[in-house]
Amino acid sequence: MKTKLLLTIIGALAVVLLVTVTAFRPDGGAEPVPPAKAAPVDSTVCIASKEYMKAHHMQILDKWRHEAVRDGDRIHVTPDGRQFEKSLNTCLGCHSKNRMFCFLCHQYANVKPTCWNCHLSPKELSQ
Amino acid sequence: MNQQRREFLKKAGLGALAGLGAAAGIIPTFALEKTDPSGFPSKPVPGKVRWGMLIDTGNCREGCSACVAACHFTHNVPDFSGTKNEIKWIWKSPYEKAFPTSSLQFPSHDLEEREVLTLCNHCAEPPCTKACPTEATFKRWDGIVSMDYHRCIGCRFCMAACPYGSRSFNWQDPRPGIAEYSKTYPTRERGVVEKCNFCSERLVKGQEPACVEACPGKAITFGDLNDPSSRIRVMLGENETVQRKPELGTLPSVFYII
Repeated sequence: MKTKLLLTIIGALAVVLLVTVTAFRPDGGAEPVPPAKAAPVDSTVCIASKEYMKAHHMQILDKWRHEAVRDGDRIHVTPDGRQFEKSLNTCLGCHSKNRMFCFLCHQYANVKPTCWNCHLSPKELSQ
Repeated sequence: MNQQRREFLKKAGLGALAGLGAAAGIIPTFALEKTDPSGFPSKPVPGKVRWGMLIDTGNCREGCSACVAACHFTHNVPDFSGTKNEIKWIWKSPYEKAFPTSSLQFPSHDLEEREVLTLCNHCAEPPCTKACPTEATFKRWDGIVSMDYHRCIGCRFCMAACPYGSRSFNWQDPRPGIAEYSKTYPTRERGVVEKCNFCSERLVKGQEPACVEACPGKAITFGDLNDPSSRIRVMLGENETVQRKPELGTLPSVFYII
């Protein structure tokens, strides 16, 4: 008899606990995530400093490709809050104005990236 | 056990429970902390959307290949004459080639002569992605079976695995076979496999696939198979449809009205 009463009390307490937790839950737990905005681009200034881009553009492009293609995470936010679409075309949007932008430096550094085997280079784009 | 000790433990336990409940009430953030979604990257939820296509073969005009031309121009698909080096993303097949396992005994004349639009089925259970040793081909969050040409090593396992012949291999540099470049999409290089990508590059811009847009007979419907109110789902509900080789269990996302 005594155990039964005790069990009832514990049960009632558990219910009270659950109700309190649900009632005081800050506005219903998870909220719907707003859909990703389509391709916002602020391309007046590059995503990082010239020095950083010179040294790390290949890593950024590699990371961008992985995130955009595999995860569908297409928006890059710079530390100062500007947004860019993760795409080689974002880069070419500015940098293809100088047709030789990529080539001069790569030639100087004697590196032969295979980007232009498939992607249309600024040379072909400006034709 | 000592009776007093037993009583004490009972009371202490009850007290702790009550205390927890009170704490949860007094401090709202105590029990279930609110998640701040702004901290997460804007990744889409996998499996929420499943893109699909419905092709009305009756509305597909004989001799018309506007969709093929539009697709192949948009994606810089080369045109090498002959089947040996052929690259194709979307093409027309005779009915018996498209549906070889359907009943072909005494088909109607109309069916015998009908050409069916065939393309990658973007299977929900794609055999090609399982065959790929480098994960160059993979199923995306939105059901599209995608290719990362950067990773493709040209082993062609995926081509052997695909039961629909939807994949083509670049035996040679494709660029000489491209009459005019489309500047919105890259080309491929020698030694990689390629196929239809359901125009994923157009979908992110909110456009429909190039073949859907180009079709003069409006024979192709594109939409989200997971959305019961989408046009494609409404049409699937109203019409009798078939899939290619359904017995293989690949669950194609391309449906046909015969």
